[in-house]
Amino acid sequence: MPETAPAAMILTSRTDTKPAPKPDPAAPGRRTRRLSVEIRQHAPGWLQAAALAGGLVVGLICAAALLVAAGVSLSDLAQEFVVSILTSPESLAAVLTQAAPLSIIGLAAAIAFRVRFWNVGIEGQMIGGAIAATAVALADLGPEPLRLVLMGLAAALGGALWMLGPTLLRLRLGLNEIISTLLLNYVAFNGLLHLLYGPWRDPESNFPNSALFSSPERLADLGWQNLTYALPLAVVLMLAGWWLINLSRFGFLMRVAEANPRLGRAQGLPMTGVVLAATLLSGALAGVAGFAICAGVEHRLTQSFAAGYGFSGILIAFLARNNPLAVLVVAFAVGMLFVAGQSLQVFYQIPSSAVQLVQALIVLCVAASDFFIRHRLRWID
Amino acid sequence: MSQASALPPALEMTMVSKSFDGFRALSEASFAAHAGEVHALLGENGAGKSTLMNVAIGLYRPDSGVVRVRGEAVVIDGPLAAKRLDIGMVHQHYKLVKAFTALENILLACGGPSYGRGLREVEAAVRRHCAALGFTVPLDRPVGMLSVAEQQRVEILKVLVEGARILILDEPTAVLTDREAEQMLLTMRRLADEGRTVILVTHKLGEVKRYADRVTVMRGGRTVASADPDSLSLSELTTLVVGAPVERERAPSPAIGKTMLRIAGLSGARADGLTVLSDATLIVRAGEIYGIAGVGGNGQTELAEILMGVRAPLSGSIELEGVGDLCAGDAGLRRELGLAAIPADRSAYGLAGGLSVAENYAVGGVLAGRFGSWFRLDRKAMNRATEAAVSAFDIHGVRSPRQKVSLLSGGNAQKLVVAREFARPPRAVLAHSPSRGLDVRAAGAVHQRLRAARDAGAAILLISEDLDEVLLLSDRVGVMSRGKIVAEFDAPADRNAVGAAMVHHA
Repeated sequence: MPETAPAAMILTSRTDTKPAPKPDPAAPGRRTRRLSVEIRQHAPGWLQAAALAGGLVVGLICAAALLVAAGVSLSDLAQEFVVSILTSPESLAAVLTQAAPLSIIGLAAAIAFRVRFWNVGIEGQMIGGAIAATAVALADLGPEPLRLVLMGLAAALGGALWMLGPTLLRLRLGLNEIISTLLLNYVAFNGLLHLLYGPWRDPESNFPNSALFSSPERLADLGWQNLTYALPLAVVLMLAGWWLINLSRFGFLMRVAEANPRLGRAQGLPMTGVVLAATLLSGALAGVAGFAICAGVEHRLTQSFAAGYGFSGILIAFLARNNPLAVLVVAFAVGMLFVAGQSLQVFYQIPSSAVQLVQALIVLCVAASDFFIRHRLRWID
Repeated sequence: MSQASALPPALEMTMVSKSFDGFRALSEASFAAHAGEVHALLGENGAGKSTLMNVAIGLYRPDSGVVRVRGEAVVIDGPLAAKRLDIGMVHQHYKLVKAFTALENILLACGGPSYGRGLREVEAAVRRHCAALGFTVPLDRPVGMLSVAEQQRVEILKVLVEGARILILDEPTAVLTDREAEQMLLTMRRLADEGRTVILVTHKLGEVKRYADRVTVMRGGRTVASADPDSLSLSELTTLVVGAPVERERAPSPAIGKTMLRIAGLSGARADGLTVLSDATLIVRAGEIYGIAGVGGNGQTELAEILMGVRAPLSGSIELEGVGDLCAGDAGLRRELGLAAIPADRSAYGLAGGLSVAENYAVGGVLAGRFGSWFRLDRKAMNRATEAAVSAFDIHGVRSPRQKVSLLSGGNAQKLVVAREFARPPRAVLAHSPSRGLDVRAAGAVHQRLRAARDAGAAILLISEDLDEVLLLSDRVGVMSRGKIVAEFDAPADRNAVGAAMVHHA
């Protein structure tokens, strides 16, 4: 809303809220310093970066304090989080392996958020995409050299289809997408369990997973450590997302849809179509991320391949300010957290919930740093 | 007011300064209002009127300066403190809970021992005030269902029941019709005669001349004059407000051509389904400004929305000469065919505050490929075109095309809308309340643009609830009532005759 009148809240360092005591405020000897909070009209880029970095540092300090309190020494923390990841190729590869699907999920969230569509159903769309890809693999559809491409396309279609219901309900009937996408996560998850305990149960081991994918159905190795083509796929998708948002005409239309769709409609811009396309794209990307995990890491459809990813995607998009290139960087950082968290669990008996706690702390601190971008603190005499 | 000079002023503010983020909204402003007077605080948009009054009500604390109430220096550090000093304010945007009834809203503001007893006490007080002032307000309906004028009365009653002796009204007549405004101002006169102080924040010179005992003029955050309005002529007052006299001469059309826009039997429903536009028929000729006058809520908004293409008509047609019925095409096609629209609600249909000046400007031409292809948006072209438009349309406050539109003042934002809509010469223009909320100078600039478009041969449909604006600009005036045009007048139209047509059919 273009309400330009700057409102000001006052944090008074004194506590008198009673009507003014008699003495003239202008009289000497009665200086009252107050901290005043004002809305900032414009924050320069360096300030935004500094506030963000400040929030990150405070979050890291809080997280470190928490882990130290849980019994991990500071030097061990530095070892696990920084040294081992930067010096050991295995750790770096593990982080990059995590970062690939995380960044695709982050992009999925970012594109939906860019049109003010709060997609919290990313896990459901990942499952939808992975089921579609697995169906192609199990049915041996198409020639083998094209199998992976078909699986990827099927995953995109599956994710988009899982999004179609919520987006149509929102656009036609105004149904809140937070409710519909969230609830469809459970539908997707139970559908997945149904398949894995039923028709798709692995015939060899009789475990509730799908059968292992054959090698043409797996993302090929890059030839360094155990990295697969999931990583270049993620990088290409981020670049495409960056082009879409920043350079293409569609990106411009998305910005109008985000800022004021009524203006767009009055100007004859296809606002409904833009939201529809962006949300379906978001679902499709989530589906592709599901495919990347199944075909790149697990090599089969498992029960819990998507667990926790939806939340991380929202977090990554938020920390990256819905910017695809920043998504790549943040996804790497979250990947580090995942990998370091795993070794904390194994070697220090830190519960996995502590890793989520660390994530949440950092997000909270970065979110709070926004206050300093929007407001200015000033001492008034 | 004879006793006024003997007593200290009811409210006195001396050398008050206030800055926001480096912007000096008030610099050493001084103001004094006495008991028993209607004191107008006059100035352009952004002159600092509302800021000064927000200091008086305790919403802002001044960086420096002294506030005295009835002679005593006070620190007003919040609306509660102001209330204890018997200062009450009716804000421009009402502070009412829409789902509550009038009584509940007033109770919420005043507090009471318990809901039931409080409600009874408040009701008694409200009825007393209503009887004294001749107010009619439905007390038991949710205020969201009341008209704007009724909601304002609820706000006034709220302040009175709180026991305010100093009443501040921020732009109280902005949303009222002529008759409602007159009624409200007469009420204020009566409250002042009872010994209260009424401060009227306004930018309407006519109101100041007619109703104020005293006027303080603000310009650029300073108080530049305080005088008896009777001692100043309208043009002297205008000079004080804007610094230089503004042209308010009528300029009739040089050449009126043949019919350009033909609206026939147009009907439309409001968002809640009620048919408020019924069988509206009118024509606008090339080179003509057709002004629609009328009391608000008689179908003007729906007519404008249907014309813009954001609302579908129930029946009827809008024919643009040479291209046929516009209703067949969407908003985008209509614009390509030469329709330009200046919407009344700038924040809804006019601009996106969160986007940059260049993006708001380019939104009109981006789909037609004027700013790059689908593959690559041409930001350089956007910025160049925007910079050209900013200087051609004299838009101030644009440091860079990448600056957010929400940082522009109302007048400059409206100039940006006009610049975008007139980026290509339009054949027909819809201008809905084009100068609402603008100061004299910005309104003059917008009017000048409309006249220029008319002189270039466009057909201009002006819809405004500001009768002065309609009379000043129009070559022909139509009066809209209950969803149709009930009377037409050739310019120069007689103000009283138009006013009578507006009211009699209502």
